[in-house]
Amino acid sequence: MLPKLDPLLHSELRLAIMSILAGVDETDFNYLKEQTGATSGNLSVQIDKLAEVGYIAVEKGFKGKMPRTTCHITHEGTEAFRSYVKALKKYIAAGK
Amino acid sequence: MEQNKEMTAEESLSLITETLNSNRKEITRRSGKYYMLWGILLMVFSLIVYFLWKYTDNATWNCLWFAMPVIGFLAARLGLDKKQEGKVSNDVSRITGGIWSTFGIFACAVAAFTLIYGQLNEGADGLGRIISTLVALGSLTAEIVLLFGLAESICGVALKSWVIKIAGFVTGIGGLAIYYITRANEEQMFIFTFAGLVLVATGLIIKHQYK
Repeated sequence: MLPKLDPLLHSELRLAIMSILAGVDETDFNYLKEQTGATSGNLSVQIDKLAEVGYIAVEKGFKGKMPRTTCHITHEGTEAFRSYVKALKKYIAAGK
Repeated sequence: MEQNKEMTAEESLSLITETLNSNRKEITRRSGKYYMLWGILLMVFSLIVYFLWKYTDNATWNCLWFAMPVIGFLAARLGLDKKQEGKVSNDVSRITGGIWSTFGIFACAVAAFTLIYGQLNEGADGLGRIISTLVALGSLTAEIVLLFGLAESICGVALKSWVIKIAGFVTGIGGLAIYYITRANEEQMFIFTFAGLVLVATGLIIKHQYK
């Protein structure tokens, strides 16, 4: 029986955010926006959703006088991401 | 990018692979501007020291080199990092940053040691002092250019870039060869001008390759 795909990760924008964060130590909101091409509002909503379930950690602060939001993937997020990729591979293998 | 788009397993896996690759490329591309900054500084400093050394016949102008890391650090922080571009760091950027910081510390330590060595030999007679100072300054150029080439080649390994690996080898071994062939006084500054040129070229290649 095929495993259920994590609905939180099975969304284009949230998956892109998780893929970026999986490959970096940390990054900020502007970088995520540049890389995903999403609007600020949409990106902000999806970041909040991922943070609510503990997949990513968000820190809001200032760099000089400019507000800066930094994000990094958590241990739970890494595990969920790994499980999601494993599940995807099973789906693809089952489809062949 | 939409959050509610229904994706197949293949599309999801492809999105993950593409995002990871483009992320890595972007981080490498961003390192290009730092290569260019340090390359330009190296060229400018080497030419300034060359002309001052040549026209005053005084090797003490080499002390100007100590100002380069300070100017470079300030230029990077105030000039390059101030742009509205998002910030990102990963293992590779942390490792390459560490390599160049270690190179800077080693280069300054070796230069400081050479200066102290010159002071210790102050008691020597005229010719002996001149010879010991020239030997110390000469070997300093050779040591620093070799350290420089080594640092750049290791960065090439971390960034998985053959261009940077080869550029490091060319600078380190080529610079050393030029030094041993010429062994000139102020002309040895051209070794650093050449190293700076290689850095600028590396930066341009990175920016072009990963755009």
